Amino acid sequence: MDKTFVVKGSNLRAAANACASRSRQGLLAMFACDERAMSGCYAVYCLFDGRQPGGLVTVKGLVPADGPLEFPSLTPIIPAAAWYEREICDMFGLTPVGHPELRPLVLHENWPAGLYPLRKDFDPGRVVPDAGKPFPMLHAHGEGVFEVPVGPIHAGIIEPGHFRFSQAGESILRLDAKLFFTHRGIEKAVEGLTPDAAFPMVERICGVCGVSHALSFSQALEGLTGTVVPERAKWIRVLAAELERLYNHVGDIGNLSAGMGFQVAVSNGSRLKEGLLRLNEALTGNRYLRGMVVPGGVAMDVTAELRGEIAAALERFEPDFASLVGLMRDNDAFLDRVDTTGIVPFAAARDLGVVGVAARASGVDWDMRRDKPYGGYDELEFAVPVHRSGDVAARLWVRVDEVPQTVRLIRQALERIAAAGPELAAKVPPAPAWSTGAGWSESARGANLHWLMMGEDNKIWRYFARSASYPNWPALSVAAPGNIIPDFPLINKSFELCYACLDR
Amino acid sequence: MELLVQLVTGIGQAAMIASLAPLVAGLIKTAKARLQNRRGPGILQPYYDLAKFLGKDSVVSPTTSWLFAAAPPIYFAAALGAAALAPVLAPLASGLGMGLADLFMLLYLFALGRFFLALASLDAGSSFGGMGGSREMFIAVLAEPAILLALLAVALPAKSTGLTAMAASAAGAKWALSEVFAAGAFFIVLLAETGRIPVDNPDTHLELTMVHEGMILEYSGRPLGLIHWAVAIKQLVMITLFAVFFLPGAPLSWPPLAQAVLLAVKVAATALALAAAETATNKMRLFRVPAFMTVSGVLALLALVAR
Repeated sequence: MDKTFVVKGSNLRAAANACASRSRQGLLAMFACDERAMSGCYAVYCLFDGRQPGGLVTVKGLVPADGPLEFPSLTPIIPAAAWYEREICDMFGLTPVGHPELRPLVLHENWPAGLYPLRKDFDPGRVVPDAGKPFPMLHAHGEGVFEVPVGPIHAGIIEPGHFRFSQAGESILRLDAKLFFTHRGIEKAVEGLTPDAAFPMVERICGVCGVSHALSFSQALEGLTGTVVPERAKWIRVLAAELERLYNHVGDIGNLSAGMGFQVAVSNGSRLKEGLLRLNEALTGNRYLRGMVVPGGVAMDVTAELRGEIAAALERFEPDFASLVGLMRDNDAFLDRVDTTGIVPFAAARDLGVVGVAARASGVDWDMRRDKPYGGYDELEFAVPVHRSGDVAARLWVRVDEVPQTVRLIRQALERIAAAGPELAAKVPPAPAWSTGAGWSESARGANLHWLMMGEDNKIWRYFARSASYPNWPALSVAAPGNIIPDFPLINKSFELCYACLDR
Repeated sequence: MELLVQLVTGIGQAAMIASLAPLVAGLIKTAKARLQNRRGPGILQPYYDLAKFLGKDSVVSPTTSWLFAAAPPIYFAAALGAAALAPVLAPLASGLGMGLADLFMLLYLFALGRFFLALASLDAGSSFGGMGGSREMFIAVLAEPAILLALLAVALPAKSTGLTAMAASAAGAKWALSEVFAAGAFFIVLLAETGRIPVDNPDTHLELTMVHEGMILEYSGRPLGLIHWAVAIKQLVMITLFAVFFLPGAPLSWPPLAQAVLLAVKVAATALALAAAETATNKMRLFRVPAFMTVSGVLALLALVAR
């Protein structure tokens, strides 16, 4: 089902273009790998979705290490490649020739030139001196145009990100974001570890989509070792993944109102979310469901007593949630704020490869659970709500409409768990050397895609994680211009973008 | 001799309002918290906050000029001046502050404080200050005529713009349709002038949405304490104006103690109404504020017509 085309680096653009035109969703991810030890080349991988369900199409471009370290940029024909190529340039020193906006992305002004952290000959323990280079930001010019710098330290307790608004009065002309302030180098840190040793780090890429990351990594590993997950574990994984979606959506729906000072909805949202977090704690001992999913299956059983508790909690949850939504849906003052604010047009969402709620709010009908089914989702019944207006309201209503579907999935998972045998996890055999595989799952924010290349002795050679927030951050710079700056916090909240997911 | 009496009562009244203003601010905060399913801080919290601020040193940006240092005392003095003129004790001691206590005097005192604070917000050169200052002036331009119009609905039957005469006339007025319109008009500007939802959000941490809070973002320590105190005083003066002019009063024949209790009840009720209004809705888009102020203006005109 998976197809791989190996091409010369100089032919990468043509090959990628051919694959992109034969795929529904276009470029899913792009990354490089230092394969000098095997082939004397750097490899640039581009992942596309194939036409048939299940498999991915991979284009692998080889850039010889002894030639010019460059490849033709895909960005002019596939805009979604823009960030990936900047990251490849930062981390591997491979230049995407013809990139319209080639400037640093991950590495900031403190990082010395000529040091490429993901090359195999870079020692991760090395301390580098502060280079003090300039960091180029985008500007707008003209009479009366001024800049508003915000962050990286904010007044609220949130993660660091620097935003540069070019303003004409209250209107936003251009928004540039400088992110990756707390990059942890997880991809580098897990190289040379066994999957079991790497797993805790992978699960901690993000606090609020830990299940999804754990799931994506496990599925990649299970795929390349041929491990079959036991029936019971399969449905417990669905249960955990949907519980994660539920608390995220409910929290995000309530929290959106904080952007407009609508405190009643904020309070109600946090109260509902707290109830769900306590349910998570009863289930796994961790409020964010950490430790449930492990490679090969799950670590904990969901007993009949716990299943009853979950079912009862859902019964209580549904009317409560309906009244929270009522506070918003029947409230003209609220609707006035969210309607037509921060629009991402369909074309932009498609071109940038936007995923998850943000994509489905702009009319991109794409959900990995349905379109690239994994982990038993093809056996379950659920709908994928899509809205077309692309504004803050659409992103809100997609979340609101997904909540009943998630509840439906949880109920189906509970039934299936009850009917399944007792086995919780299969043993994962050592992975064959130089095998590669991808795993994915649809988190509350969109698809988290992980890719693994195993080296000798069951050690990870290269690991790449593309979080849902990665393709969605650039969409924020599309949504903001044309709005007024006091509406920006609201627009930002409607995407619910994650900083930690970038700083993997 | 009469001048001396007026001076002493004015100072006494200013001191009284200044000392009670944090209590009213605390009452609004606590009521809001309860309405929003939160426990909230104690009702005396604003006093503790003020004590903390006034006991702290201040960090001043090296790019600022004398304006930055001068603005908080001027803002505070203007608020105290307004407090001295407000017709709080008017029904009790008629003839008080006749010469000075004029509605234009009161409005200009507010405008003076605002003018200096807006200048100071630009002084440090931070973009948040500039945004806050420009928004504050934008809202003020709309709110000032609306306040004036609403107050004219009281001044007209009193045939005077003197605050004491207006208070006496309002206390004797029968509660009719025009009073309801005028009260609605003034309540809207009350929300705007005290920096509350739906015009501004006093509790937000989102710098990009701030109006008043954005203006004073560069201040810390003692000057910040002065500004917070002045804001509370201005708020209490505005609430008092609403209570005296726009809520049903008692005839002047009532004993002073009963008058004072009635006023306190009306002020507390207004504070609770502010908390309820803030809880019931969300902040509106900045450029919808003009329409909101227009509603106030139209209500005031209706009040004048209905009379």
